Amino acid sequence: MTKQIILLFLVFLMLSCDSNNHIRTYHLPKIHHTNNETFQTKSQKPQLSGFTWEKPDSWIPSQGSSMRIASFDVPFSTGMGDLSVMELGGDGGGLVANVNRWRGQIGLEPLEESEIRAQAQPGESKIGPYEIFQLINDSNSDTAMLTAILPMNNSTLYIKLTASKDGIIDLEKDFKTFCSSIKHDTNI
Amino acid sequence: MKLIIKRISHPKIFVYTVIWLMVLTVLGTLAQRNIGLYASQQKYFSSYIIWLGDIIPAPGGRITMVIMLVNLASMLFKHNIWKLKKAGIIIVHLGAVLLFIGSGVTAILSSEGNMVIDEGAQSNYVDDYHNMELAIINTSRENLDEYTVFDQPLLKKGNKLSHESLDFMIEIMEYYNNCKVQRRTEPADIKYKGMMKNFDLVELNLEKENTQNRSGIIYKIENSNLTNDGIYGLILGQSVTQTATINNQNFEFLFRKKRTYLPFSIELLDFKKVLHAGTGIAKSYSSEINLIENGIPRRVLIQMNEPLRHRGYTFFQSSFIEGPEGEATVLAAVKNYGRLFPYISSIVMSIGLFLHLLINLPKLLRKNIIAGKK
Repeated sequence: MTKQIILLFLVFLMLSCDSNNHIRTYHLPKIHHTNNETFQTKSQKPQLSGFTWEKPDSWIPSQGSSMRIASFDVPFSTGMGDLSVMELGGDGGGLVANVNRWRGQIGLEPLEESEIRAQAQPGESKIGPYEIFQLINDSNSDTAMLTAILPMNNSTLYIKLTASKDGIIDLEKDFKTFCSSIKHDTNI
Repeated sequence: MKLIIKRISHPKIFVYTVIWLMVLTVLGTLAQRNIGLYASQQKYFSSYIIWLGDIIPAPGGRITMVIMLVNLASMLFKHNIWKLKKAGIIIVHLGAVLLFIGSGVTAILSSEGNMVIDEGAQSNYVDDYHNMELAIINTSRENLDEYTVFDQPLLKKGNKLSHESLDFMIEIMEYYNNCKVQRRTEPADIKYKGMMKNFDLVELNLEKENTQNRSGIIYKIENSNLTNDGIYGLILGQSVTQTATINNQNFEFLFRKKRTYLPFSIELLDFKKVLHAGTGIAKSYSSEINLIENGIPRRVLIQMNEPLRHRGYTFFQSSFIEGPEGEATVLAAVKNYGRLFPYISSIVMSIGLFLHLLINLPKLLRKNIIAGKK
């Protein structure tokens, strides 16, 4: 009888085990899941334009207008933002005109140059310094913007993230990291 | 019973299964070209049944090896084999049985994944290469987060997930092994929540390289409240979690690679990369780490071909990431309970063959002498 039991045991041992099929519960000290995981996987994609960057894997390349160097769908907790990268010749119309145009798009009044410059957050990329502008209209939380202007020798790079107010706040760190990572390879 | 043992221990079974295993190996190798290595392994070697041409059922790798194991093991239950002169054969069979048990243990219990650690940072978990999980995190407590994690086998279409730690139920509506997010062209129904209000998940063909597939799920929350009941979507790598407040409890929903927490931490002190002279091609990489256990750090150097082995895990230097915020090392982490089986079984089988030769040597010599005299 023992022999039969051992034999049956050997058969069922191989067939019945499945360590994956279960539910687990555990407790961990608090962490901010978003920041912890966002840049765990990075990817760098050479662009035809010669620009390269680091972006979270969750950013999904999307089809934008022909003027855009790149477009991404950028997910956040309650929706999806749209990020565009554009290179315009010269100063691309200038800082004041562009910021006020964006402000107008979300229902904000235009500002003087001094006021705009006072709101700029400075950053440093591989190409050079850039400025970030966070544009939020508290009476219209559905659409807000995070924009960066990166002047180069003969052109200006405009990076614009459009999302809800919550999305802009959620994605600010990723946006800054993305802007800081932008490089330009003249060999491409 | 004797008859049963006689039949299932018949040597022909072993011969046929070995031939079938060879066929599977050829089919699996050819299939790699079209479906990739991982999918081919799953289809031909990790399956119980395979479908030839999607019509004819045939034994998969696992069932074939179970048959071989039973065949070899049942040989040991034969009465007439337990004789001194057959000691070598018994030991060879035991070695082969050990080898099959080892492969079963590896197939069922082993895990492999990677750890990505930034310079100066530490990590205590391994992300599986292939398996996913849905983690629901109750973040309402002040100091601790409560995790309820559903593993991939439960994330099948139509499955209803519940647990005593959750006041609501989740129904899996779709599970995609590879998908993309697509913007909706028309406003979504009111039942869609979160990201799904403006976007939908669209299934894609599987990539050959499994790590390039991007899994996603669409799930429905039920029995929570009117505000949160609805259909949600999550995709692998989504940087920001889906959140919901249900019965005054805050929850976050994460769809991610299956995560295994380690009883120790690894801190990356320094990552070094040596390039071939005049090129951008890496010659070698190494990670100087602190292995922190019970608060006590131990300095270890992990480099190519010199992994760290600790508590059943083996950490190999696998890759690295260069980012704007510095370097990060990628360590492949493997836990294989059956690691020693091939070594032990090879030694056992070698001993068995040697013993069998020794036992039969006088007989062989006698035969030779007689043949010589003739």
